[in-house]
Amino acid sequence: MLEIINLGKTFQNKKVLDNINFKVEKGEFFGLLGSNGAGKTTIIRLISTLLLPSKGKIRLDGQEISRNSVELKQKITTVTQEYTLRGDMTVTEIMEYQGRLYKIPKDQRRKATKELLTFCGLMTHRKKRVRELSGGMKRKLMLCRALLPKPELVLLDEPTVGLDPFSRRQMWDLISGLNRQGMTFILTTHYMEEAQLLCNRIALIDEGCLLEIAPPLEMIKRLGVIAVDVATAAGIKREFFQNKELAIAYAANLNDPFTLRETNLEDVFIKRLGRGID
Amino acid sequence: MAILTVLWEKWIEFKHEWFKITVTAMISPILYLITFGIGMGMDKMVDGHPYLEFLIPGIIALTTMNASFNAIGMSLNVQRLYERSFDNVLASPTPLGQYIIGQMIGGSLRGLYAGCLILGISFLFGAAIHVNVIFFVVMLINGMAFSALGVMAAIISKTHADISRFSTFVILPMTFIGNTFFSLTGLPVILKMLVQLLPLTYASSLLRQLSYGEGVDWLSLAVLVAYTVVFMLIALLRINRSKNL
Repeated sequence: MLEIINLGKTFQNKKVLDNINFKVEKGEFFGLLGSNGAGKTTIIRLISTLLLPSKGKIRLDGQEISRNSVELKQKITTVTQEYTLRGDMTVTEIMEYQGRLYKIPKDQRRKATKELLTFCGLMTHRKKRVRELSGGMKRKLMLCRALLPKPELVLLDEPTVGLDPFSRRQMWDLISGLNRQGMTFILTTHYMEEAQLLCNRIALIDEGCLLEIAPPLEMIKRLGVIAVDVATAAGIKREFFQNKELAIAYAANLNDPFTLRETNLEDVFIKRLGRGID
Repeated sequence: MAILTVLWEKWIEFKHEWFKITVTAMISPILYLITFGIGMGMDKMVDGHPYLEFLIPGIIALTTMNASFNAIGMSLNVQRLYERSFDNVLASPTPLGQYIIGQMIGGSLRGLYAGCLILGISFLFGAAIHVNVIFFVVMLINGMAFSALGVMAAIISKTHADISRFSTFVILPMTFIGNTFFSLTGLPVILKMLVQLLPLTYASSLLRQLSYGEGVDWLSLAVLVAYTVVFMLIALLRINRSKNL
């Protein structure tokens, strides 16, 4: 569905993305993980044409995307990292504006607005202006707005930042349900639990370069499915093992307190991006 | 059609802020009318007409200019750099040409609204000026020119302060020297040439001639339309080509 070919971006002679290549298939939930400033948001902004590439191409369904690709852009919506809502509009007006921008027929946009706002608990706030909403409400509204046109591809740039745990799980239910119905998602997040739960495949990005693409479980297996955290005098030391038996054998010889647990994506992230504590 | 969507957005903006918009549009022109029209020039004649009748078309021209420029330039600047809501428009399937034309029409309607308010107040001041359909058409075209300039300025600006600077260096001087408060007849040649480079000069001249009951100066109208097209094309080019909007 989406093809990123040799994508590069330079800001004032500083390379922030270099030679990025990957494909996202229809119906996939694809994650972009990396530390702050790795280039994840730049990729999202390039796909949504908010930025234009310094080199390379982005293709959707075989056609190159540009700012004037009206038909291609009809298929994509974005939830950006920052709030991108007009403060003077009400919740309903934000949805109405989105429906009009995406040429959704009146009946359809009103029906979808009601359904989405009800699901996200914003229906009772529909007459409030955006500037009166809390951060979490704004975040929910941005997701509702992105889902209104029923796009084929949704770009989610840290969509659940600022949401309480209950609302976050509510959002996960909503987007994973839509993904099961065939909607494609590209997600950037710093919540590893979120990425592990939602994503079919994950791309690790570091300093503008693509390190690896794999399903989260495969990344975890490669590192070792069992982790042993040892509380040493110098701090926490962490070792990974391919099975429980090996981990137990290692732990049996330890003099320091330890914890045995399943490895998670956060371990992979820390290990792969070279910012481990051991 | 995306133009209608932009007009709807401008209508919502107006609906929420109509009182502030109305008051803001009237303050400066009323002060100009009082200061220059009543305070300084009630008994003067310019080009064979009472100064107040000379002044009012100029004030209407500068009012439509300011209202249109602010409605688009300031608003789009805030949407682009502060609220970032312009990102959502840019990512949407809205044809950018239609978006700019929509902004221009929306801005010119705001200019027309402000101009009509001043026209009404001018009649209260006892001004005897002729108004016909072309008078309103000129107000609309003037509004479109400065709305297009507003889009251009908002897209070029890198900070909030830039749009204020643009206003200070471009709009404010035009307010005073764009054939608004004094006749061009006695001006030194170089200053006259400079004034004739300004789009507002042509809008003021057109409105003044119409208000005197004279015909349309087609050349001035053509120049004003040309400025509108040039500003629109620069804005479109910039919005299409800018790698980091």
